[in-house]
Amino acid sequence: MALVTRVMNIAGLVAILALLPVAESILAVEQEEKPPSTTMPGGQPPSIILGERLQRKPPELVGVGEVAKKNALTFLEWASGAPKQQDGLVRELLAGARENLDISRAFCEEAFRTQTEDDTRALIALALLGEMRSPHTEECLMKFVEQPLPDKGTVVEGEILEQNSLAMLQAKAVDGLAYLRSPRADEFVLKTAAQHPSRIVRAEAIAAYLWNNQYSKEAREMLRRLVRQEEQIFIDRVVKETGEPKESFNRKLQDYLNAHPEVRPPTPDKAPDKPQPSIGPPPGF
Amino acid sequence: MCRTHKLLSVLFMLGLITILRPSSAYAVCVQTGASTAEQDLWNTHGCWQAYFLWSYKAYDQRQSDWNNRGWNDACNVNLEFPKHWNATYLVTYGLADENCCSWHGTIDYRQLAEAPSSNFHSSLYHTARDDSCCFGSFNPKVSGPDELATHCLLYNPSATNSNPASRAGDFMHEGWHGWLRKYSWNNGSCGGHRCGPLGNCTATGCDYFYFHGVGAYAFGALYQTDGTANRFHSPNQVQVEFLCDVADYPKAWVPASVRQKAKADADARAVARFINGPGYKCGGPRPW
Repeated sequence: MALVTRVMNIAGLVAILALLPVAESILAVEQEEKPPSTTMPGGQPPSIILGERLQRKPPELVGVGEVAKKNALTFLEWASGAPKQQDGLVRELLAGARENLDISRAFCEEAFRTQTEDDTRALIALALLGEMRSPHTEECLMKFVEQPLPDKGTVVEGEILEQNSLAMLQAKAVDGLAYLRSPRADEFVLKTAAQHPSRIVRAEAIAAYLWNNQYSKEAREMLRRLVRQEEQIFIDRVVKETGEPKESFNRKLQDYLNAHPEVRPPTPDKAPDKPQPSIGPPPGF
Repeated sequence: MCRTHKLLSVLFMLGLITILRPSSAYAVCVQTGASTAEQDLWNTHGCWQAYFLWSYKAYDQRQSDWNNRGWNDACNVNLEFPKHWNATYLVTYGLADENCCSWHGTIDYRQLAEAPSSNFHSSLYHTARDDSCCFGSFNPKVSGPDELATHCLLYNPSATNSNPASRAGDFMHEGWHGWLRKYSWNNGSCGGHRCGPLGNCTATGCDYFYFHGVGAYAFGALYQTDGTANRFHSPNQVQVEFLCDVADYPKAWVPASVRQKAKADADARAVARFINGPGYKCGGPRPW
Protein backbone atom coordinates (compact mmCIF):
# COMPACT_ATOMS: atom_id res chain seq x y z
CA MET A 1 0.00 0.00 0.00
CA ALA A 2 2.77 2.37 0.97
CA LEU A 3 4.50 1.51 -2.30
CA VAL A 4 1.34 2.19 -4.31
CA THR A 5 0.94 5.52 -2.57
CA ARG A 6 4.52 6.43 -3.36
CA VAL A 7 4.12 5.48 -7.02
CA MET A 8 0.94 7.55 -7.25
CA ASN A 9 2.73 10.52 -5.69
CA ILE A 10 5.54 10.25 -8.22
CA ALA A 11 3.10 9.93 -11.11
CA GLY A 12 1.28 12.99 -9.85
CA LEU A 13 4.52 14.97 -9.74
CA VAL A 14 5.43 13.89 -13.25
CA ALA A 15 2.02 14.98 -14.50
CA ILE A 16 2.37 18.36 -12.81
CA LEU A 17 5.84 18.80 -14.28
CA ALA A 18 4.58 17.99 -17.75
CA LEU A 19 1.73 20.45 -17.43
CA LEU A 20 3.88 23.35 -16.18
CA PRO A 21 4.91 24.66 -19.64
CA VAL A 22 1.33 24.43 -20.84
CA ALA A 23 0.12 26.36 -17.82
CA GLU A 24 2.81 28.95 -18.39
CA SER A 25 1.79 29.52 -21.97
CA ILE A 26 -1.91 29.72 -21.09
CA LEU A 27 -1.24 32.21 -18.37
CA ALA A 28 1.28 34.27 -20.31
CA VAL A 29 -0.11 37.47 -21.71
CA GLU A 30 0.83 37.75 -25.37
CA GLN A 31 3.08 40.81 -25.64
CA GLU A 32 2.79 43.05 -28.64
CA GLU A 33 6.20 44.00 -29.95
CA LYS A 34 6.99 47.57 -29.05
CA PRO A 35 9.72 49.80 -30.45
CA PRO A 36 12.95 50.18 -28.49
CA SER A 37 12.99 52.78 -25.78
CA THR A 38 15.12 54.49 -23.20
CA THR A 39 14.58 56.36 -19.99
CA MET A 40 17.57 58.60 -20.64
CA PRO A 41 17.03 62.07 -22.04
CA GLY A 42 17.74 62.52 -25.72
CA GLY A 43 21.09 63.95 -26.73
CA GLN A 44 21.89 66.71 -29.14
CA PRO A 45 22.20 65.95 -32.84
CA PRO A 46 25.68 64.82 -33.92
CA SER A 47 26.37 68.01 -35.89
CA ILE A 48 26.18 70.09 -32.68
CA ILE A 49 28.25 67.64 -30.63
CA LEU A 50 30.94 67.56 -33.29
CA GLY A 51 30.99 71.32 -33.66
CA GLU A 52 31.55 71.69 -29.91
CA ARG A 53 34.37 69.17 -29.98
CA LEU A 54 36.27 71.08 -32.62
CA GLN A 55 36.06 74.25 -30.52
CA ARG A 56 37.77 72.59 -27.55
CA LYS A 57 41.46 73.21 -27.03
CA PRO A 58 43.54 70.03 -27.11
CA PRO A 59 45.18 69.00 -23.81
CA GLU A 60 48.80 69.97 -23.34
CA LEU A 61 51.46 67.30 -23.57
CA VAL A 62 53.77 68.78 -20.98
CA GLY A 63 54.99 68.25 -17.44
CA VAL A 64 57.15 65.90 -15.43
CA GLY A 65 56.43 62.96 -13.15
CA GLU A 66 52.82 62.51 -12.14
CA VAL A 67 51.72 65.69 -13.89
CA ALA A 68 53.15 64.38 -17.16
CA LYS A 69 51.39 61.07 -16.66
CA LYS A 70 48.05 62.77 -16.00
CA ASN A 71 48.48 65.01 -19.03
CA ALA A 72 49.50 62.07 -21.22
CA LEU A 73 46.39 60.10 -20.32
CA THR A 74 44.15 63.12 -20.86
CA PHE A 75 45.79 63.60 -24.24
CA LEU A 76 45.32 59.91 -25.08
CA GLU A 77 41.58 60.18 -24.43
CA TRP A 78 41.32 63.33 -26.48
CA ALA A 79 43.35 61.88 -29.38
CA SER A 80 41.42 58.62 -29.33
CA GLY A 81 38.22 60.49 -30.11
CA ALA A 82 39.86 62.95 -32.50
CA PRO A 83 38.22 63.25 -35.90
CA LYS A 84 40.28 62.74 -39.04
CA GLN A 85 40.50 66.48 -39.57
CA GLN A 86 42.54 66.71 -36.37
CA ASP A 87 45.09 64.03 -37.31
CA GLY A 88 47.60 66.70 -38.32
CA LEU A 89 47.16 68.49 -35.00
CA VAL A 90 47.75 65.27 -33.05
CA ARG A 91 50.98 64.67 -34.97
CA GLU A 92 52.16 68.21 -34.38
CA LEU A 93 51.53 68.00 -30.64
CA LEU A 94 53.31 64.66 -30.39
CA ALA A 95 56.32 66.00 -32.26
CA GLY A 96 56.44 68.83 -29.71
CA ALA A 97 56.65 66.30 -26.86
CA ARG A 98 59.32 64.15 -28.45
CA GLU A 99 61.95 64.85 -25.80
CA ASN A 100 59.63 64.32 -22.84
CA LEU A 101 60.59 61.01 -21.33
CA ASP A 102 57.77 61.05 -18.78
CA ILE A 103 55.13 61.48 -21.47
CA SER A 104 56.46 58.57 -23.53
CA ARG A 105 56.76 56.46 -20.39
CA ALA A 106 53.10 57.16 -19.58
CA PHE A 107 51.97 56.03 -23.05
CA CYS A 108 54.14 52.94 -22.73
CA GLU A 109 52.72 51.98 -19.34
CA GLU A 110 49.19 52.53 -20.57
CA ALA A 111 49.77 50.25 -23.55
CA PHE A 112 50.97 47.43 -21.31
CA ARG A 113 48.27 48.06 -18.72
CA THR A 114 45.29 47.96 -21.09
CA GLN A 115 46.39 45.47 -23.72
CA THR A 116 44.03 42.75 -22.45
CA GLU A 117 41.10 44.63 -20.99
CA ASP A 118 40.70 47.28 -23.73
CA ASP A 119 42.96 46.69 -26.68
CA THR A 120 41.63 49.77 -28.49
CA ARG A 121 43.12 51.93 -25.77
CA ALA A 122 46.40 50.05 -26.00
CA LEU A 123 46.36 50.47 -29.80
CA ILE A 124 45.96 54.23 -29.42
CA ALA A 125 48.74 54.39 -26.81
CA LEU A 126 51.09 52.51 -29.15
CA ALA A 127 50.10 54.67 -32.13
CA LEU A 128 50.86 57.82 -30.14
CA LEU A 129 54.13 56.37 -28.89
CA GLY A 130 55.17 55.40 -32.39
CA GLU A 131 54.20 58.73 -33.90
CA MET A 132 56.33 60.58 -31.30
CA ARG A 133 59.34 59.15 -33.12
CA SER A 134 61.43 59.58 -30.00
CA PRO A 135 64.53 57.58 -29.08
CA HIS A 136 62.91 57.22 -25.65
CA THR A 137 60.28 54.95 -27.15
CA GLU A 138 62.56 52.36 -28.72
CA GLU A 139 63.02 50.18 -25.66
CA CYS A 140 59.32 50.11 -24.81
CA LEU A 141 58.23 49.25 -28.33
CA MET A 142 60.77 46.42 -28.57
CA LYS A 143 59.70 45.04 -25.22
CA PHE A 144 56.09 45.14 -26.37
CA VAL A 145 56.83 43.21 -29.56
CA GLU A 146 58.86 40.63 -27.68
CA GLN A 147 55.98 39.61 -25.43
CA PRO A 148 55.13 35.96 -26.03
CA LEU A 149 51.80 35.30 -27.69
CA PRO A 150 49.15 33.45 -25.67
CA ASP A 151 48.93 29.84 -26.75
CA LYS A 152 45.47 29.29 -25.28
CA GLY A 153 42.21 31.18 -25.50
CA THR A 154 39.01 31.59 -27.49
CA VAL A 155 39.33 29.73 -30.76
CA VAL A 156 37.34 31.05 -33.70
CA GLU A 157 37.83 29.62 -37.17
CA GLY A 158 41.16 28.15 -36.17
CA GLU A 159 42.54 31.37 -34.67
CA ILE A 160 43.15 32.14 -31.00
CA LEU A 161 41.55 35.55 -30.58
CA GLU A 162 43.74 36.62 -27.67
CA GLN A 163 46.76 35.83 -29.81
CA ASN A 164 45.40 37.89 -32.70
CA SER A 165 44.61 40.76 -30.37
CA LEU A 166 48.18 40.94 -29.08
CA ALA A 167 49.58 40.44 -32.57
CA MET A 168 47.61 43.42 -33.88
CA LEU A 169 49.04 45.53 -31.09
CA GLN A 170 52.54 44.27 -31.77
CA ALA A 171 52.04 45.14 -35.43
CA LYS A 172 51.33 48.72 -34.36
CA ALA A 173 54.44 48.72 -32.19
CA VAL A 174 56.49 47.54 -35.18
CA ASP A 175 55.15 50.50 -37.17
CA GLY A 176 56.58 52.78 -34.49
CA LEU A 177 59.95 51.06 -34.52
CA ALA A 178 60.26 51.25 -38.31
CA TYR A 179 59.26 54.93 -38.16
CA LEU A 180 62.25 55.65 -35.90
CA ARG A 181 64.53 54.76 -38.82
CA SER A 182 67.40 54.07 -36.44
CA PRO A 183 69.94 51.31 -37.14
CA ARG A 184 69.01 49.41 -33.98
CA ALA A 185 65.27 49.69 -34.62
CA ASP A 186 65.69 48.70 -38.28
CA GLU A 187 67.63 45.63 -37.29
CA PHE A 188 64.84 44.70 -34.90
CA VAL A 189 62.20 45.25 -37.57
CA LEU A 190 64.05 43.00 -40.02
CA LYS A 191 64.41 40.31 -37.39
CA THR A 192 60.69 40.61 -36.67
CA ALA A 193 59.87 40.30 -40.39
CA ALA A 194 61.76 37.03 -40.49
CA GLN A 195 61.15 35.44 -37.12
CA HIS A 196 58.13 36.74 -35.24
CA PRO A 197 55.71 33.88 -34.51
CA SER A 198 52.69 35.76 -35.87
CA ARG A 199 52.16 36.36 -39.55
CA ILE A 200 50.17 39.51 -38.72
CA VAL A 201 53.31 40.99 -37.16
CA ARG A 202 55.72 39.67 -39.81
CA ALA A 203 53.55 41.14 -42.57
CA GLU A 204 53.43 44.52 -40.86
CA ALA A 205 57.18 44.51 -40.29
CA ILE A 206 57.73 43.88 -44.00
CA ALA A 207 55.32 46.65 -45.01
CA ALA A 208 56.72 49.11 -42.48
CA TYR A 209 60.35 48.47 -43.45
CA LEU A 210 59.55 48.99 -47.12
CA TRP A 211 57.54 52.16 -46.56
CA ASN A 212 60.16 53.73 -44.34
CA ASN A 213 62.83 52.91 -46.92
CA GLN A 214 60.79 54.31 -49.81
CA TYR A 215 60.31 50.85 -51.37
CA SER A 216 63.91 50.97 -52.56
CA LYS A 217 65.60 48.14 -54.41
CA GLU A 218 68.02 47.74 -51.51
CA ALA A 219 65.21 47.42 -49.00
CA ARG A 220 63.50 44.75 -51.10
CA GLU A 221 66.72 42.81 -51.49
CA MET A 222 67.40 42.98 -47.80
CA LEU A 223 63.96 41.52 -47.11
CA ARG A 224 64.28 38.83 -49.78
CA ARG A 225 67.34 37.52 -47.98
CA LEU A 226 65.53 37.28 -44.64
CA VAL A 227 61.83 36.72 -45.14
CA ARG A 228 60.42 33.18 -45.20
CA GLN A 229 60.15 31.60 -48.62
CA GLU A 230 56.38 31.27 -48.46
CA GLU A 231 56.07 34.96 -47.50
CA GLN A 232 58.28 36.44 -50.20
CA ILE A 233 55.06 37.56 -51.95
CA PHE A 234 54.46 39.93 -49.02
CA ILE A 235 57.39 42.00 -50.26
CA ASP A 236 55.43 42.70 -53.45
CA ARG A 237 52.09 43.13 -51.69
CA VAL A 238 49.91 45.94 -53.01
CA VAL A 239 49.47 48.77 -50.55
CA LYS A 240 46.58 51.17 -50.99
CA GLU A 241 48.02 54.41 -49.64
CA THR A 242 45.59 56.91 -48.21
CA GLY A 243 44.95 59.62 -50.78
CA GLU A 244 46.58 57.66 -53.61
CA PRO A 245 44.93 58.37 -56.98
CA LYS A 246 43.17 55.39 -58.45
CA GLU A 247 45.30 55.40 -61.61
CA SER A 248 48.42 54.91 -59.53
CA PHE A 249 46.91 52.15 -57.42
CA ASN A 250 45.39 50.34 -60.39
CA ARG A 251 48.73 50.36 -62.17
CA LYS A 252 50.43 48.85 -59.11
CA LEU A 253 47.74 46.21 -58.90
CA GLN A 254 48.15 45.24 -62.53
CA ASP A 255 51.92 44.98 -62.10
CA TYR A 256 51.40 42.76 -59.08
CA LEU A 257 48.97 40.45 -60.91
CA ASN A 258 51.34 40.25 -63.89
CA ALA A 259 54.26 39.39 -61.63
CA HIS A 260 52.19 36.86 -59.67
CA PRO A 261 49.75 35.07 -61.98
CA GLU A 262 49.45 32.37 -59.33
CA VAL A 263 47.31 34.67 -57.18
CA ARG A 264 44.58 34.96 -59.80
CA PRO A 265 41.63 33.09 -58.30
CA PRO A 266 39.82 30.30 -60.15
CA THR A 267 36.40 30.80 -61.70
CA PRO A 268 33.75 30.86 -58.96
CA ASP A 269 31.59 27.77 -58.50
CA LYS A 270 27.87 27.69 -58.92
CA ALA A 271 25.95 25.83 -56.24
CA PRO A 272 24.55 22.52 -57.53
CA ASP A 273 20.90 22.59 -58.58
CA LYS A 274 18.62 21.31 -55.88
CA PRO A 275 17.51 17.78 -56.90
CA GLN A 276 13.91 17.69 -58.10
CA PRO A 277 11.75 15.04 -56.40
CA SER A 278 11.19 12.04 -58.63
CA ILE A 279 7.46 11.64 -59.16
CA GLY A 280 7.39 8.85 -61.70
CA PRO A 281 4.70 8.19 -64.31
CA PRO A 282 1.01 8.09 -63.35
CA PRO A 283 -0.57 4.69 -62.60
CA GLY A 284 -2.12 2.73 -65.45
CA PHE A 285 -5.69 3.69 -66.21
CA MET B 1 -1.65 14.06 9.62
CA CYS B 2 -0.47 11.48 7.12
CA ARG B 3 -2.44 13.21 4.33
CA THR B 4 -1.14 16.61 5.38
CA HIS B 5 2.36 15.25 5.35
CA LYS B 6 1.84 13.92 1.87
CA LEU B 7 0.40 17.20 0.63
CA LEU B 8 3.31 19.12 2.09
CA SER B 9 5.74 16.71 0.44
CA VAL B 10 4.07 17.24 -2.91
CA LEU B 11 4.11 21.00 -2.57
CA PHE B 12 7.74 20.92 -1.49
CA MET B 13 8.71 18.79 -4.49
CA LEU B 14 6.72 21.04 -6.77
CA GLY B 15 8.48 24.06 -5.45
CA LEU B 16 11.87 22.42 -5.83
CA ILE B 17 11.16 21.41 -9.40
CA THR B 18 9.95 24.87 -10.32
CA ILE B 19 13.13 26.43 -8.97
CA LEU B 20 15.50 23.89 -10.48
CA ARG B 21 13.98 23.45 -13.92
CA PRO B 22 15.87 25.19 -16.71
CA SER B 23 14.94 28.81 -17.00
CA SER B 24 13.19 29.89 -20.15
CA ALA B 25 15.30 33.12 -20.14
CA TYR B 26 18.39 32.96 -22.40
CA ALA B 27 21.94 34.05 -21.66
CA VAL B 28 23.32 37.41 -22.76
CA CYS B 29 26.75 38.74 -23.63
CA VAL B 30 28.97 40.52 -21.11
CA GLN B 31 27.08 43.72 -20.38
CA THR B 32 29.51 45.46 -18.06
CA GLY B 33 31.30 47.82 -20.40
CA ALA B 34 32.23 49.07 -23.84
CA SER B 35 35.56 49.39 -25.60
CA THR B 36 37.24 52.74 -26.16
CA ALA B 37 36.34 52.71 -29.86
CA GLU B 38 32.72 51.97 -28.97
CA GLN B 39 32.59 54.84 -26.52
CA ASP B 40 34.36 57.26 -28.83
CA LEU B 41 31.86 56.67 -31.63
CA TRP B 42 28.99 56.83 -29.15
CA ASN B 43 30.23 60.22 -28.00
CA THR B 44 29.76 61.63 -31.50
CA HIS B 45 25.98 61.19 -31.20
CA GLY B 46 25.38 60.91 -27.44
CA CYS B 47 22.49 58.50 -28.03
CA TRP B 48 20.50 59.71 -30.99
CA GLN B 49 17.00 58.44 -30.37
CA ALA B 50 15.54 59.34 -33.75
CA TYR B 51 18.28 57.23 -35.27
CA PHE B 52 17.79 54.05 -33.28
CA LEU B 53 14.04 54.28 -33.89
CA TRP B 54 14.89 54.09 -37.58
CA SER B 55 17.72 51.57 -37.31
CA TYR B 56 15.73 48.79 -35.66
CA LYS B 57 13.29 48.86 -38.56
CA ALA B 58 16.00 49.06 -41.21
CA TYR B 59 17.70 46.01 -39.70
CA ASP B 60 14.43 44.25 -38.83
CA GLN B 61 15.28 43.73 -35.20
CA ARG B 62 12.54 42.23 -33.08
CA GLN B 63 11.90 42.94 -29.43
CA SER B 64 11.70 39.23 -28.63
CA ASP B 65 15.29 38.78 -29.81
CA TRP B 66 16.76 41.83 -28.10
CA ASN B 67 14.56 42.20 -25.03
CA ASN B 68 17.19 41.63 -22.38
CA ARG B 69 19.93 43.05 -24.55
CA GLY B 70 19.00 46.69 -24.24
CA TRP B 71 15.77 46.97 -26.22
CA ASN B 72 14.25 49.08 -23.44
CA ASP B 73 17.57 50.57 -22.40
CA ALA B 74 18.63 51.73 -25.84
CA CYS B 75 20.99 54.42 -24.58
CA ASN B 76 23.08 52.10 -22.44
CA VAL B 77 26.20 51.54 -24.52
CA ASN B 78 27.18 48.49 -22.45
CA LEU B 79 24.35 46.46 -23.96
CA GLU B 80 24.07 44.61 -27.24
CA PHE B 81 21.22 46.50 -28.89
CA PRO B 82 22.84 49.95 -28.40
CA LYS B 83 26.16 48.51 -29.63
CA HIS B 84 24.38 47.14 -32.70
CA TRP B 85 22.90 50.48 -33.66
CA ASN B 86 26.19 52.24 -32.87
CA ALA B 87 27.66 50.09 -35.66
CA THR B 88 24.77 50.72 -38.05
CA TYR B 89 25.24 54.44 -37.44
CA LEU B 90 28.80 54.06 -38.70
CA VAL B 91 27.54 52.31 -41.84
CA THR B 92 24.78 54.86 -42.46
CA TYR B 93 26.76 58.04 -41.95
CA GLY B 94 30.44 57.24 -41.51
CA LEU B 95 31.82 56.83 -45.02
CA ALA B 96 33.03 59.59 -47.29
CA ASP B 97 32.29 57.75 -50.58
CA GLU B 98 35.26 59.16 -52.44
CA ASN B 99 34.95 58.44 -56.14
CA CYS B 100 38.69 58.62 -56.49
CA CYS B 101 39.55 56.18 -53.85
CA SER B 102 36.84 54.30 -51.92
CA TRP B 103 36.29 50.66 -52.74
CA HIS B 104 32.53 50.90 -52.54
CA GLY B 105 29.88 53.30 -51.40
CA THR B 106 27.45 53.68 -48.54
CA ILE B 107 24.71 52.68 -50.98
CA ASP B 108 26.38 49.28 -51.32
CA TYR B 109 27.20 48.70 -47.69
CA ARG B 110 23.79 49.77 -46.46
CA GLN B 111 21.95 47.47 -48.83
CA LEU B 112 24.25 44.64 -47.89
CA ALA B 113 23.76 45.07 -44.16
CA GLU B 114 20.14 46.19 -43.97
CA ALA B 115 17.17 43.87 -43.86
CA PRO B 116 15.10 44.49 -46.97
CA SER B 117 15.36 42.28 -50.00
CA SER B 118 17.53 43.92 -52.64
CA ASN B 119 20.02 43.15 -55.37
CA PHE B 120 22.32 42.06 -52.54
CA HIS B 121 20.27 39.41 -50.73
CA SER B 122 16.79 38.23 -49.94
CA SER B 123 15.18 39.76 -46.90
CA LEU B 124 16.87 39.15 -43.57
CA TYR B 125 16.57 40.10 -39.93
CA HIS B 126 19.23 40.79 -37.32
CA THR B 127 19.57 38.92 -34.05
CA ALA B 128 22.20 38.45 -31.37
CA ARG B 129 23.50 35.05 -30.29
CA ASP B 130 25.68 33.91 -27.42
CA ASP B 131 27.50 31.14 -29.23
CA SER B 132 31.24 31.78 -29.20
CA CYS B 133 31.76 29.70 -32.32
CA CYS B 134 32.14 32.76 -34.42
CA PHE B 135 31.74 36.49 -34.71
CA GLY B 136 28.56 36.18 -36.70
CA SER B 137 26.49 33.76 -38.68
CA PHE B 138 24.11 33.75 -41.61
CA ASN B 139 21.27 31.33 -41.01
CA PRO B 140 18.97 30.84 -44.00
CA LYS B 141 15.37 29.95 -43.24
CA VAL B 142 13.04 27.73 -45.21
CA SER B 143 10.36 30.40 -45.10
CA GLY B 144 10.47 34.03 -44.13
CA PRO B 145 13.53 36.25 -43.87
CA ASP B 146 16.96 34.75 -43.30
CA GLU B 147 18.71 35.43 -40.01
CA LEU B 148 21.87 37.46 -39.71
CA ALA B 149 23.19 36.90 -36.21
CA THR B 150 26.01 38.74 -34.51
CA HIS B 151 27.57 36.87 -31.61
CA CYS B 152 28.96 37.88 -28.24
CA LEU B 153 32.52 38.10 -29.55
CA LEU B 154 31.36 41.30 -31.21
CA TYR B 155 29.82 42.66 -28.00
CA ASN B 156 31.89 41.53 -25.00
CA PRO B 157 33.84 44.66 -24.01
CA SER B 158 37.27 43.06 -23.78
CA ALA B 159 36.95 41.10 -27.03
CA THR B 160 39.18 42.47 -29.74
CA ASN B 161 36.35 42.70 -32.29
CA SER B 162 33.99 44.45 -29.92
CA ASN B 163 34.14 47.75 -31.73
CA PRO B 164 31.73 49.38 -34.19
CA ALA B 165 33.90 48.93 -37.30
CA SER B 166 34.52 45.22 -36.75
CA ARG B 167 30.86 44.66 -35.92
CA ALA B 168 29.74 46.48 -39.05
CA GLY B 169 32.37 44.57 -40.99
CA ASP B 170 30.67 41.42 -39.88
CA PHE B 171 27.33 42.72 -41.15
CA MET B 172 29.02 42.92 -44.56
CA HIS B 173 30.56 39.47 -44.26
CA GLU B 174 27.33 37.75 -43.25
CA GLY B 175 25.29 39.83 -45.68
CA TRP B 176 27.57 38.55 -48.44
CA HIS B 177 26.69 34.97 -47.51
CA GLY B 178 23.17 36.17 -48.28
CA TRP B 179 24.36 37.35 -51.68
CA LEU B 180 26.00 33.98 -52.37
CA ARG B 181 22.76 32.23 -51.48
CA LYS B 182 20.56 34.56 -53.52
CA TYR B 183 22.59 33.96 -56.66
CA SER B 184 23.37 30.28 -55.96
CA TRP B 185 27.15 30.50 -55.63
CA ASN B 186 29.09 27.85 -53.80
CA ASN B 187 31.82 29.35 -51.63
CA GLY B 188 32.68 26.13 -49.85
CA SER B 189 31.43 23.68 -47.29
CA CYS B 190 33.04 25.04 -44.11
CA GLY B 191 30.41 27.47 -42.96
CA GLY B 192 30.17 28.94 -46.45
CA HIS B 193 33.93 29.10 -46.89
CA ARG B 194 36.57 26.78 -48.30
CA CYS B 195 37.95 24.48 -45.66
CA GLY B 196 41.36 25.57 -44.45
CA PRO B 197 44.12 26.02 -43.77
CA LEU B 198 44.64 26.24 -47.53
CA GLY B 199 47.23 28.05 -49.62
CA ASN B 200 48.04 31.32 -47.89
CA CYS B 201 45.00 31.11 -45.66
CA THR B 202 45.81 30.03 -42.12
CA ALA B 203 42.24 29.94 -40.78
CA THR B 204 39.80 27.04 -40.99
CA GLY B 205 37.42 28.99 -43.22
CA CYS B 206 39.09 30.47 -46.28
CA ASP B 207 38.15 32.63 -49.25
CA TYR B 208 39.70 33.80 -52.47
CA PHE B 209 40.51 37.46 -52.93
CA TYR B 210 39.06 38.59 -56.26
CA PHE B 211 41.39 41.53 -56.85
CA HIS B 212 39.90 44.54 -58.59
CA GLY B 213 40.96 48.12 -59.17
CA VAL B 214 39.57 51.24 -57.56
CA GLY B 215 36.58 52.40 -59.55
CA ALA B 216 35.95 48.95 -61.07
CA TYR B 217 32.56 49.01 -59.38
CA ALA B 218 30.42 52.12 -59.55
CA PHE B 219 28.82 52.89 -56.21
CA GLY B 220 25.72 50.74 -56.00
CA ALA B 221 27.16 48.00 -58.21
CA LEU B 222 28.98 45.87 -55.66
CA TYR B 223 26.40 43.12 -56.18
CA GLN B 224 27.35 42.69 -59.83
CA THR B 225 29.18 39.72 -61.20
CA ASP B 226 29.83 38.43 -64.71
CA GLY B 227 30.30 34.92 -63.39
CA THR B 228 34.07 35.05 -63.67
CA ALA B 229 36.81 35.76 -61.19
CA ASN B 230 37.27 39.16 -62.84
CA ARG B 231 34.10 40.51 -61.30
CA PHE B 232 33.31 38.71 -58.06
CA HIS B 233 33.68 39.06 -54.28
CA SER B 234 33.98 36.77 -51.30
CA PRO B 235 32.66 37.44 -47.78
CA ASN B 236 36.06 38.12 -46.23
CA GLN B 237 36.99 40.37 -49.13
CA VAL B 238 33.89 42.54 -48.80
CA GLN B 239 34.64 42.77 -45.09
CA VAL B 240 38.24 43.87 -45.70
CA GLU B 241 37.19 46.44 -48.30
CA PHE B 242 34.58 47.89 -45.96
CA LEU B 243 37.08 48.09 -43.09
CA CYS B 244 39.61 49.77 -45.39
CA ASP B 245 37.01 52.33 -46.45
CA VAL B 246 36.30 53.09 -42.78
CA ALA B 247 40.03 53.38 -42.03
CA ASP B 248 41.05 55.42 -45.06
CA TYR B 249 37.98 57.24 -46.37
CA PRO B 250 35.68 57.95 -43.49
CA LYS B 251 33.75 61.13 -42.94
CA ALA B 252 35.95 63.69 -41.29
CA TRP B 253 34.31 63.26 -37.88
CA VAL B 254 34.93 59.54 -37.43
CA PRO B 255 37.11 59.09 -34.33
CA ALA B 256 40.71 57.93 -34.55
CA SER B 257 40.11 54.85 -32.41
CA VAL B 258 37.39 53.60 -34.76
CA ARG B 259 39.68 54.10 -37.77
CA GLN B 260 42.69 52.51 -36.11
CA LYS B 261 40.70 49.40 -35.13
CA ALA B 262 39.23 49.15 -38.62
CA LYS B 263 42.71 49.22 -40.13
CA ALA B 264 44.09 46.68 -37.67
CA ASP B 265 41.20 44.30 -38.34
CA ALA B 266 41.47 44.71 -42.13
CA ASP B 267 45.22 44.14 -42.18
CA ALA B 268 45.02 41.08 -39.92
CA ARG B 269 42.24 39.53 -41.97
CA ALA B 270 43.97 40.29 -45.26
CA VAL B 271 47.05 38.26 -44.34
CA ALA B 272 45.26 35.29 -42.81
CA ARG B 273 41.97 34.58 -44.59
CA PHE B 274 42.80 34.34 -48.26
CA ILE B 275 43.96 31.29 -50.17
CA ASN B 276 45.61 33.54 -52.76
CA GLY B 277 46.54 36.17 -50.22
CA PRO B 278 47.68 38.46 -48.95
CA GLY B 279 44.90 40.86 -49.79
CA TYR B 280 45.63 44.57 -50.17
CA LYS B 281 47.10 46.45 -47.25
CA CYS B 282 44.98 49.46 -46.37
CA GLY B 283 46.89 52.65 -45.85
CA GLY B 284 50.55 53.08 -45.11
CA PRO B 285 52.22 51.96 -41.88
CA ARG B 286 52.68 55.39 -40.38
CA PRO B 287 51.72 55.00 -36.71
CA TRP B 288 49.19 57.85 -36.58
